[in-house]
Amino acid sequence: MSILQSIKNAVRSRSIHVSYIDVGSCNGCDIEVLACLAPRYDIEQYGIYVHNNPREADVLLVIGSVTPQWEDKLRNIWEKIPAPKAAIAIGNCPISGCVYARKGSLTTPPVKNYIPIAAEVPGCPPRPTEILSAILSVAPLIFKDYEEKQS
Amino acid sequence: MKKTVDVSIPLGPMHPCWKEPVRLKCETAGERVLHTEVELGYMKKGIERIMRGRPWQEVMFLAERVCGICSVVHNMVFIEAMELISDIAVPPRAAYLRVVANELDRVASHILANFSYCYTIEHETLAMYLLNTRERVLDNLERLTGSRINTAYMIPGGVRFDLLPEDAATMLADLAKVEEELKRYVQIFESGPLIGLRSRGIGYMSREDAIRAHTVGPTARASGVEDCDLRLRHPTYRALGFEQVTRTEGDNFARVMLRFQEVFQSIDLIRKCVDTLPAGHIRGGGLCRAGEVSYSGEAPRGELTYTIKTDDFGRVLDIAIRTPSIMNIEACAHYMVVNATSIADVTSTFISSDPCIACNER
Amino acid sequence: MRSIVYYVREFLRPEWLKKFFFVKTAPLVTPPYFKGYPTLTGKDCTGCFTCMMICPAPDAIAVLRRKEQWEPEVYPGHCIRCGLCVEACPEGVLASGRVTDLARRDATAFWHSFHLEVDESLCMRCGNCCVSCPINRQIDPQLAGTGTSTSDEVIMRVSSGRVRILHEEKCTGCKTCETQCPSGAIRVARMVEGVQFLDGVES
Repeated sequence: MSILQSIKNAVRSRSIHVSYIDVGSCNGCDIEVLACLAPRYDIEQYGIYVHNNPREADVLLVIGSVTPQWEDKLRNIWEKIPAPKAAIAIGNCPISGCVYARKGSLTTPPVKNYIPIAAEVPGCPPRPTEILSAILSVAPLIFKDYEEKQS
Repeated sequence: MKKTVDVSIPLGPMHPCWKEPVRLKCETAGERVLHTEVELGYMKKGIERIMRGRPWQEVMFLAERVCGICSVVHNMVFIEAMELISDIAVPPRAAYLRVVANELDRVASHILANFSYCYTIEHETLAMYLLNTRERVLDNLERLTGSRINTAYMIPGGVRFDLLPEDAATMLADLAKVEEELKRYVQIFESGPLIGLRSRGIGYMSREDAIRAHTVGPTARASGVEDCDLRLRHPTYRALGFEQVTRTEGDNFARVMLRFQEVFQSIDLIRKCVDTLPAGHIRGGGLCRAGEVSYSGEAPRGELTYTIKTDDFGRVLDIAIRTPSIMNIEACAHYMVVNATSIADVTSTFISSDPCIACNER
Repeated sequence: MRSIVYYVREFLRPEWLKKFFFVKTAPLVTPPYFKGYPTLTGKDCTGCFTCMMICPAPDAIAVLRRKEQWEPEVYPGHCIRCGLCVEACPEGVLASGRVTDLARRDATAFWHSFHLEVDESLCMRCGNCCVSCPINRQIDPQLAGTGTSTSDEVIMRVSSGRVRILHEEKCTGCKTCETQCPSGAIRVARMVEGVQFLDGVES
């Protein structure tokens, strides 16, 4: 492993920019992601910075079962994120559709069908600590030796 | 349409300040915003269609998941409508516990709304303070119901869990701390000169406009509309001596301050509830029956109406939900941000009316 | 200038540097009163399917037969952690947070009953409902493929060209008949009632 790569690994695992996108959930997971910002959980002490801009994000948190409006837009947003990137499904909705996956529903879960998902955090909604530990455990694994894996 | 504007600027659906996807189209002349249109439809899940043909124990969870921020009140209004249909009486202890859960949820929701506003006007310190205070409120909600957000606390004829005496003592102690902290934050908010520049006189809506636009909840009350709080008509709240809070300024500052005042009032209500909690049952039993009813309750954002029709076995045949944000968003677009001085004011005004898109579109 | 020197000296203290780079908030523990995913307590499951019946989320819980023993299995990703199954279970097989303790303390329970109805205008008398019903098969293993049976103890059977419901009270509300019905003629109504027994008296 080159020195440059090891520096990149160290930096990437300590500075994760997060963007979240709501593709049709009940709003509960959104506010749990927001609650991670609270000083009690303090997501920024781990170098995770939440700001809603896909173009400078490393990790995309996908919330919600996919509504018809988002079917094409979700893919677009995923393509705008620069590599290396990872998507984490927050809550039951992107995994199985939660209580919306029933006859008469307009949603088309799971999100897996639209973009590649690196990790799943089940729960309706998951606790902020669960979201936090998922981001912390998954992101370094995805970003580790990214350039070497590419070549 | 005649082109009278320079540029049409879209805000959203993904915006750093907005928790949920919604798009605002602002038609601008220079920096001045002349006209705004709201574009909805990003969150339509068809919840009312899923609800049809299902018994209460399934619809209850769907009703909660109409909106995650004010989930308790959705649950409460749906369950009280079902009780009205099937003549189920609620034991007094359960009625008081419902008020406790509902007001805790309202406190959390109002603090979150004020957090969003402070975050939007880039006063991040106050925003983080508020978010940390909200955690303390959610702790108490969790101790009472077992979950932080979607609580599933009320069932026809009562509530699911009792309030333990030691939890009640912790709750009162925590609420005292929350009140103390919030008093400090209100002082910061009232006296901050930069907050005043971004809030006072921005997004003004007169009382006549508020009535014409059918606004509900804190947005209407901040413009001085009297008698628009449905808690005035709820029997338990009436027994607790609830009084509506009204402000007359009608700008962003008034809306945020009104929410702070309502938080203090809710804390008082919870305290009164816990102190005078009647002993006895928490569940009365009773099966759901056939009938049709339209019932309204006061959500943190305003009037929430459930129109339900059930069959003989308590299954929901037809349901229509009217949520408060739809009127507030329209009022925001057509009355508050008319002739706004900058795009930044559109964002903060929109957030100050506390929009809930998940509620709106179901 | 003096203030800059002061700040440089202040920030070069090892104590400050250590705090700045390494201090993290203590890891938070999940409180015991949080309703987590239902876990097994080790008590024997009788296979009454009450948990499956009351579960509001699709495919969240299944009671499976493992080596002569029924066992409920919860699927994270589907389960919404509402705790209804824990409260409804008559044997106390599942546990989640304080739900079981509180239910025992307040003597609360869920009562459930079921109602079967057949829409005669949609029913085509195929007998799928009678054959697929697990209770029917247990009672009368010789149940014919067309749904006719000689036993009077079955929940429902096809006789004289109609589906007749004999013993509604034996139904467990599993809705197998509803899913097997090709024309959507049979409907199961699950009626649930939350009750409390205080001082031995039902409220």
